[in-house]
Amino acid sequence: MTLALFSGSVDKLTAAGVILGGAAAEDMDVEIFVLLQAAFAFKKENAMTNERVAEITDKQDEFLASLKRLNAPHWTEAFRKAKEMTNVKIHICGFAGKVWHGEKLEDFIDLADDICGIGEYMTAAEESDINLFI
Amino acid sequence: MTQEELTALKADKTVDARGTSCPGPLLAAKKAIGEIDKGQIMEVLSADEGTRRDIPKWCAKKGFEYLGTLEESGYFKIFLKK
Repeated sequence: MTLALFSGSVDKLTAAGVILGGAAAEDMDVEIFVLLQAAFAFKKENAMTNERVAEITDKQDEFLASLKRLNAPHWTEAFRKAKEMTNVKIHICGFAGKVWHGEKLEDFIDLADDICGIGEYMTAAEESDINLFI
Repeated sequence: MTQEELTALKADKTVDARGTSCPGPLLAAKKAIGEIDKGQIMEVLSADEGTRRDIPKWCAKKGFEYLGTLEESGYFKIFLKK
C-alpha cells in the first residue's frame, strides 16, 4: 500500500493511523510519503503539540476529548505500532520539508526513515495495489 | 460452533483488548497469535463492535479458523483457532 499523506491535522493523521493499523494486521508493506502540511506535523517541535483539525473544526474540543475518552493512541503511537508490526517506510518529501524549514532527517520525528523526491513516490505508487491520498 | 459449545470452550490464550479502540483489538490479536501454537485456541475480548466483524475476516485471510463470538455484558468474546 502507498499513502500520500498531505494532511497535517490530527483528525486525518488519526485516520491514517487507523488504516495503518489495519495494514499492519494484514502484514502489508506500506510506503508513506509525507507531503506539504503533513511535513509540518512530522517536525519534532510540532508532532506532540499540534492539535489542528481539518474537518468539523467547530467541534475540535469535542473531537480531541473523545480521542482521550476512547483511549485512542496519539497518531504518532499508532504509526509507531504499525512500524513495529509490519514493513512501513516513511519518506519525507524534500520540498515539503523545506517549506517548514526542515532540511535534515533529524528535523523530523524518529518515525521518518528518509527524505526523498516525488519520483520515488511515483515508482512505489505504480507498484502498489492500494494507493491512498489523505 | 454453537453458543453452548463456545461457552464451554477453554481458550489456551486470552487477549483482553477491552480498553482499546479499533484497530487496537485486531492488533492485539495479531501480536498474541504469534504466542500460541497451531491448533491452539485464542479468545479476544473486545468492547468494539467493529472487531467482531474484523476478526472473522482477518482469520479467513491469514488461514486461522474463526470459531464464533459470545456476546457478554458490554463486550464480545471472539474465539479462533490457529
